[in-house]
Amino acid sequence: MAKIALKKKAKKSKALKPAASQRTWAIGFIIAAVVLWTFYTFIMFRLPYSVQTVFQNWLPPTKLNEAMVWVICALGLNIVVGYAGLLDLGFVAFWAIGGYSAGWFMSAFFRQVNFHLFSTVKPELPGIHISFWGVIFIGGVICAIFGVIIGAPTLRLKSDYLALVTLGFGEIIPQIFTNGENIAGFNMSNGTKGISPVDNIGVPGKALGPFDFSWKFTIFALLTAMMVFISLRLRTGRLGRAWLAIREDELAASMMGVPLMRTKLAAYSVGAFTGGIGGVAFATHVNGVFADRFNFSISIILLAMVVLGGMGNVWGVMVGALLIAWVNSTGLQALGDLVNTSFGTSINFPSYNFVLFGGVLIFMMLFKREGLIPESRLKAILHEGDDASANLEGHH
Amino acid sequence: MKLRSRVFGIIAAAALVSTTLTGCSSSNELIIATDLPLQGSSFDSNDSTNKAIELYLKQQGYKAGDFKVKLKIYDNATAAKGGWDDAQCAANAQAHVANKAEVAVMGTYNSGCAKIIVPILNQDPTGPMAMISDANTNPGLTKAWNPGEPEVYYPSGVRNYGRVCTTDDFQGAAAAQFAQSIGVKSVYVLNDTQTYGQGVGQAFTTEANKIGLKVLSSGANGEGWDAKQTSYEALFTKIKALSPDMVYVAGIFDNNGGQLMKDKVKVLGDNTKVKVMAPDGFTGYPEFNKMAEAEGVYLSFAGLSTDLLLANNPTGAGATFVAAYKAEYGVDPVGSYPLYGVAAVQIIMAAIAGSDGTRAGVQKAIFSGAGISISANDSVLGKAVALDPATGDTNAIDITIEQVKGGAETTVTAWTIK
Repeated sequence: MAKIALKKKAKKSKALKPAASQRTWAIGFIIAAVVLWTFYTFIMFRLPYSVQTVFQNWLPPTKLNEAMVWVICALGLNIVVGYAGLLDLGFVAFWAIGGYSAGWFMSAFFRQVNFHLFSTVKPELPGIHISFWGVIFIGGVICAIFGVIIGAPTLRLKSDYLALVTLGFGEIIPQIFTNGENIAGFNMSNGTKGISPVDNIGVPGKALGPFDFSWKFTIFALLTAMMVFISLRLRTGRLGRAWLAIREDELAASMMGVPLMRTKLAAYSVGAFTGGIGGVAFATHVNGVFADRFNFSISIILLAMVVLGGMGNVWGVMVGALLIAWVNSTGLQALGDLVNTSFGTSINFPSYNFVLFGGVLIFMMLFKREGLIPESRLKAILHEGDDASANLEGHH
Repeated sequence: MKLRSRVFGIIAAAALVSTTLTGCSSSNELIIATDLPLQGSSFDSNDSTNKAIELYLKQQGYKAGDFKVKLKIYDNATAAKGGWDDAQCAANAQAHVANKAEVAVMGTYNSGCAKIIVPILNQDPTGPMAMISDANTNPGLTKAWNPGEPEVYYPSGVRNYGRVCTTDDFQGAAAAQFAQSIGVKSVYVLNDTQTYGQGVGQAFTTEANKIGLKVLSSGANGEGWDAKQTSYEALFTKIKALSPDMVYVAGIFDNNGGQLMKDKVKVLGDNTKVKVMAPDGFTGYPEFNKMAEAEGVYLSFAGLSTDLLLANNPTGAGATFVAAYKAEYGVDPVGSYPLYGVAAVQIIMAAIAGSDGTRAGVQKAIFSGAGISISANDSVLGKAVALDPATGDTNAIDITIEQVKGGAETTVTAWTIK
């Protein structure tokens, strides 16, 4: 199904100018997805045990799925930061709200009610059980609403102040969930114990187990493809051009008749919607939601993904997200083990994670500000001359 | 067009590789996995558990009945969290199911982690896959405790989880009874807000109210301490005004327990003035025992401490095993959980021996019919151990009271619950 969606996109984008490169990327994405799917579904478990262990250490299938969730969230942040140029340091809040939407609407958490809607769980089980496909939408919409609620009063602020407000928002929301065990007697979030287990994803004919890796991979790849499609279509549309205009010069954009508030709010809510989808997907991935997880570092990692990959370029962001998610989960650990065993050292590589991130970000800002796979427009501006790049710095 | 043909070429090549590899098959060696946190401050104890299990398997010639077995170690902690991590627990659970040679899991150490892993193993289409824990004491995993428990952890309707340690409803009650026996009249209960901490805090509070200890903290499970806080002086200043005889710290040491103890001594004075008692979540941490502020802290352990076990049965299987451990690794096992880890593996090995070598077979051996029991002669716990096939709980309900003295855990007494 991921294939179909992308093929459609590839066909449609033919008419557009940068179609050739978009198409190459889309085909690349399909090939990568199909090859990985084939490998992990049919080939890996047939390999000798020692070879399997190598793959389990370097890129286990579950971590691949987790990386897809990171990609979805990074794509959402890319709309806010990359397209509209609004620095958001609290994106984790949407991930959290999306996650708790899954906890509320697809688990036995609210035992006082018994509501089932297209769910594959046994009907006698109490709680709210809505199908994953519905909850994705609900989670996205709740996040979009929160995006507007938070955005409306704060988007009047200029860049740096906006960043500070989003930072606060990103801290407050997870705290509410952490302490939401007893709000005037009402248990909203189950505190640090979190909500688990959440229902399995239902596909026609069966309920997926938590370990149906291949199915989940397909679903997550499909969601990613959908977010890529939405991002690319929005980018070339009226709204996308308005976002870019705001990103490049807010004053000029408003003089040209771009409604600043409405356009910014749209960016915020579309980004939040995507974050919500990522949150729901992550909850089904770990089979629960836990308040401890939603800390500030997630916002920063997401931002690093967008900056490293190339602000505004969905394919760049995807590559950046996959790369950082991999380093974060197994890459650095596996690399560290390799170094330690070959040189007899005992360095704890994962503990240098953030040093590495910081270093990479500084390096990128100094030498390759437009990211690994830059957006053509941003690249053109950055290489136009000192005046233009100085102008752009003011926005980020 | 060119690109498209290249795509087909790659897919065709992949298909070819997959068909050629179909012929290979893995050996018939079965794997027992351990799933414990191996980063952060609980490393010492859990590393010792893994070593003990490896030694035990070696002693058994890596054989359970007619089956060859080997150990595979999983780590459910991450460096970033410095302890068990929810996403890592979920990833491990999926890896257990994906690894076809694995037939059962020994673990976890933390009840919160078990609550993530058990439902996943429970839905394994080739299982359910059995998991036996050495250290999960939260009652809700096996018996009615919080709303919906324990059914919520067994979506397939069949049990697959058991444990060889005692549960917190007994541990909390024993701690309250012991506190009263040493002259404590009033107590303030703190919890670490996690599954385990709140559970044992609740059990302690309930029993304390029942036997007439004055509980100064409000709430069913005491007051939560935030593990991310850098100082607890404000918390203890508030407690000081109530002047309790004892503070009961329900939680695990990993959750900033060191800072908590430092600030307790700083504000309320040393542990002879206002006593401190903690559950098994503070046992097995050399780092904690060596703290000056830990001196005199009472601890309870949901089983027999290794000291007590050796004193009870100086010539039994447990004593022999501890001697062998010392001979192999040059040190004693850390804390008392390593022996319980071996006891859990004994259950798993007996189940494998009595099964057809499949996951479903191992699960059936433990959770149907008469279940599994290990005789007093064979058990490393020095007494007969049997798991109830209906619930997975052990028949051996033991509580040990310990005290930190001179930088080490020392056994005070075995506690019989009244």
